[in-house]
Amino acid sequence: MRVRRHGVALVGLIVVVASAVLAVLAPAVAPDDPVRNDLLERLTPPMWIEGGSGRHPLGTDTLGRDVVSRLLYGARVSLVVGFSAVVLAGALGVLLGLVAGYYGGRLDDLLMRAGDVQLAFPALVLAIAVLAVVGSGLGNVVLVLGVTGWVTYARIARAETMSLRHREFVESARALGARDAAILWRHVLPNVVPPLVVVATFSVARTIIAEASLSFLGLGIPPPAPSWGAMLDEGRNYLTTGWWLALFPGLAILGVVLGINVVGDWLRDALDPRVERGI
Amino acid sequence: MRAFLLRRLVHAVFVVWGVVTVVFFLVRLTGDPAALLVDQTATREEIARTRTLLGLDRPLHVQYLDFLRDAPRGDFGLSLRERRPAMRMVLEHFWPATAQLAFAAIVLSTVLPIPLGVVAATRRDGLVDHASRLGSLFLQSMPSFWLGLMLILLFAVGLGGLLPAYGSGTLRHLILPAVTLAAAPLAQNVRLIRAGMLEVLQHDYVRTARAKGLGERRVVYGHALRNAAVPFLTVSGLSLGFMLSGTIVIETVFSWPGLGRLIVQAVPGRDFPVIQAAVFVFAVLFVAVNLVVDLLQGWLDPRARVFERSA
Amino acid sequence: MTSPSRALLSAVLLLLVSLPSTRASAQAPPSVDGVPIDPEAELVVALTDDTTNLDPRMGMGSIRSNYIRQVFESLVDVDRQGKPVPGLALSWKPVDDLTWEFALRKGVTFHDGEPFNADTVLFNLDRMFRKNLDKHGIKDVPAGTSFEKIYPFVSRWEKVDDSTVRIVTTEPAPTLWDFLGREPLVPRAWTIKHGVEALNEKPVGTGPWKLVEWKRKDHMRFERHDGYWGTAPLTKRLRLQVIPEAAARIAALRAGQVHLVEAVPPLDAEVLGRDASLRVVSSVQKLACRIYLNGRTKDKYESGGRDGVYLDPRVRLALNYAVNRDAIIKKIFHGLALPNASPIATVAYGYAAQAPYPYDPAQARALLAEAGWKPGPKGLVNAAGESLTLQLLLPAKHYGQAFDETVAAVVEMLKAVGVQVSVQTLDFGTLLQTLTRGTLPPNGGFAACRTSNNLDGDDFVRDWATTTLVNWTPYPPELLGLYQATRRQVDGKKRLAALADLQRQVRDWAPVVSLYQEKKAYAHSVRVLRFTPTQELNMDFRGVALRR
Repeated sequence: MRVRRHGVALVGLIVVVASAVLAVLAPAVAPDDPVRNDLLERLTPPMWIEGGSGRHPLGTDTLGRDVVSRLLYGARVSLVVGFSAVVLAGALGVLLGLVAGYYGGRLDDLLMRAGDVQLAFPALVLAIAVLAVVGSGLGNVVLVLGVTGWVTYARIARAETMSLRHREFVESARALGARDAAILWRHVLPNVVPPLVVVATFSVARTIIAEASLSFLGLGIPPPAPSWGAMLDEGRNYLTTGWWLALFPGLAILGVVLGINVVGDWLRDALDPRVERGI
Repeated sequence: MRAFLLRRLVHAVFVVWGVVTVVFFLVRLTGDPAALLVDQTATREEIARTRTLLGLDRPLHVQYLDFLRDAPRGDFGLSLRERRPAMRMVLEHFWPATAQLAFAAIVLSTVLPIPLGVVAATRRDGLVDHASRLGSLFLQSMPSFWLGLMLILLFAVGLGGLLPAYGSGTLRHLILPAVTLAAAPLAQNVRLIRAGMLEVLQHDYVRTARAKGLGERRVVYGHALRNAAVPFLTVSGLSLGFMLSGTIVIETVFSWPGLGRLIVQAVPGRDFPVIQAAVFVFAVLFVAVNLVVDLLQGWLDPRARVFERSA
Repeated sequence: MTSPSRALLSAVLLLLVSLPSTRASAQAPPSVDGVPIDPEAELVVALTDDTTNLDPRMGMGSIRSNYIRQVFESLVDVDRQGKPVPGLALSWKPVDDLTWEFALRKGVTFHDGEPFNADTVLFNLDRMFRKNLDKHGIKDVPAGTSFEKIYPFVSRWEKVDDSTVRIVTTEPAPTLWDFLGREPLVPRAWTIKHGVEALNEKPVGTGPWKLVEWKRKDHMRFERHDGYWGTAPLTKRLRLQVIPEAAARIAALRAGQVHLVEAVPPLDAEVLGRDASLRVVSSVQKLACRIYLNGRTKDKYESGGRDGVYLDPRVRLALNYAVNRDAIIKKIFHGLALPNASPIATVAYGYAAQAPYPYDPAQARALLAEAGWKPGPKGLVNAAGESLTLQLLLPAKHYGQAFDETVAAVVEMLKAVGVQVSVQTLDFGTLLQTLTRGTLPPNGGFAACRTSNNLDGDDFVRDWATTTLVNWTPYPPELLGLYQATRRQVDGKKRLAALADLQRQVRDWAPVVSLYQEKKAYAHSVRVLRFTPTQELNMDFRGVALRR
């Protein structure tokens, strides 16, 4: 049974790594230009359907752009947004959480109140409002998804820090005259990381889905750049006449996110079973 | 207990005030709604005149103070587009449409997982266990609107209109949107219950209860579930907030005439009063639910209440 | 049998024989073209969106018009061919060069019984021109069209008698009947009593339909106005149902949940056309979609000291030659659009067909070279070494997916002649804001569509005569003079000739890159009888029936 558990996680890992590799190699691997459009090739079906051609294995979209190429380049966007936003949120959250947990008092109060306000804010409304101000674009979407996600990391980091604050090794380090920053960096942070890695993994999955939702509402990476969410959005008016437009990006998201979730499950079992399960 | 409650209430009010203030200034940064209310052939003077008409040319702090004065009385101003009281509009859209949807989704995603999670945990590695884990994994890995579109394709288009693809009004209309909204939280909760039950079932007091000869069902539902429920409740409270956000997307896909659709139009339309009123309602609901969850947790697990949790 | 009793018997027999036939004729169902119809039915129509309010003053866009014009009417009505016919006014004529006289229809009442008369018209004119609002005791509203700015030459209006109104101008206004006559009219006493905001709740009008229920974002229910003066609707009730998702609209039509669907996407229109239980009809609209280019001089916008790159008409004309409209119309619209080189829509009054812009990239390059843009390493460059670039602002999802696809395709076509185009997607509100503030970059442009509430083509050519949001290529003095002459020409024939001349010159002057003119497709069940789409922004359900 354990072997099966590891087996499943391995498959997940392979899927994720393969996506990342394909994404990086997209310019070399993609059969066609994902952005240049050609009206004459519009809406050709996948090659196993009548009317399809080997030049476009998974068909073309409403502007004649090759679906396979757009999927490959879209992987870049989804993975970059997913990881970057989580890294940003994680860094911000850990920093704030460490500080709040270590120093406590007023600072802690303030930070936690801010976190509560942030959480009570309907996430999508915040995203819509901010993106309307700064405009959509890869950087801005990463910024919005990153800056709004710090709270969970902050809380975990804070909890861990608070419980570690009074432990012996920290006390002795302080007695020896070590500076706060050094203590946080050397002693506290390594303990904070394992539960965070688990949370972060699941966050990447959720962020990829969040980016797709933003694109669905018209706020994601603007055209003509391919992103899986935008492809889904373009395909939604062609569900019956061009079903391949919505199916393949959906399967791509499903595949990658599934892989990440499976890896995250495994990580959680391995690293820190104490973390609230199923986050 | 009373001090605890009071403290939590004050905290709740603060959070709502914080959210509403952030929104107030944030939306005013998104730009000028006056340009949207006039024709394409308008001139700058006409737009300036519209701004004056709507009271938008007053200094920001004056607008804010007026807002703080009027809001507690329920007066969030008139919608810039519909010229009707904004709070009334928000409540109209929330009740019954979004309330029905959210309620149905909450019921589905909290009630259904309990038997599923329990069975999965007690009959570990059985069919239900594997099926529910696989299903949960899948449901949590897809965007909700994609699930919605696929369901529309299957039930409304494919099976010849078995279920309606749009609109509200009857129970039949509620099924697809509620199921779509509930899918991811349901999946998450099944895994949570299962995991919590698994952990708890190993503990000493469970073995003690069994040794005492208590019926299996009492052991499982009486003791184990009660303790497994604690983390499940914590996450549920947060989930609800995300569910309210989720209605925005689901209502768009299913043409459900609720608060989500109103927001999706109000934000690009820069309808400040409506946005403020809607966010206020969301925040109040979120905070209220979390308060209830906290109290439930305290009742279920006395240990949880001892330390001040700012969660 | 005696004679009297025989007579009685015959009479009774006659009566008995005739009874069934009278019963039959009393029972004969109403029919249209020989097909029995259900006059008590509810006609259900699916629309793409709800309206936010019902006050005509707050704007008459395409979505709003569908709702507003069921309840309210204007002085001038339109027939299915797009010709003006008497509405609330029986006739209109110029009394002299500066005065128009409208003879109003008698005996018309609003849904609540209030009579429609000259006072109503004067009240509405006051609202439109923002005069005497205090005197009436009503508030001002943010207006879609501000009449006092656009038509400042309309100076006063007076009541001659209860059914006659005269409007006086300071200069000849040959199209006054159009720009004033198409505005829907609201009741005077009702609006004063309930306030202008009540117009957005449950207003009363003179139209064929009474508003019965409005569930926001969901549907609007109407009932036939039995006292209506014109062609009555043949169904008792009407429901305008909001279904934003195209797939859901079509699914609802197929499942029989709605009878008629508007805005059928072009590909679906083809597919639905093959379904024997449905009918697909289309009609040319006045919506003209274009790419507007920055051709303002540096003093007319926040330019940072630079003239708009597209000031030179030759450059703009060249870009028009670079667009392959046939491919767009065939491939993206499946025939549901048409090319139009004239600034005036083909179905507007005064339209004169112009030589179409050919798809000729070679000619485009030649023109660009003539204007000083020669091929460089990466695209076209001018003598100073600057590249020809275009920052195109696109309000995505505002005009529908076909529009977004068209712009994307056109961007490639422009790139093919050497223009380096970069697209910036933003939401419509932000675009309007950029235009209001005048912060379009010198090499900027935006994609937008223009439609008209009026019948006369003057509405279209007026765009470049005044400083408005969309005017980024103001008329040079010759064209401005020509335009103003058309405005003041009272002789019908001379005016048409002048308009034709103006259109020809505007075609060559090319203020915008014209993309296409819209043809709207509707799909309905075969049960719907006598539905004809109009060329106006609204659907007209008078005379439409549902088969039993």
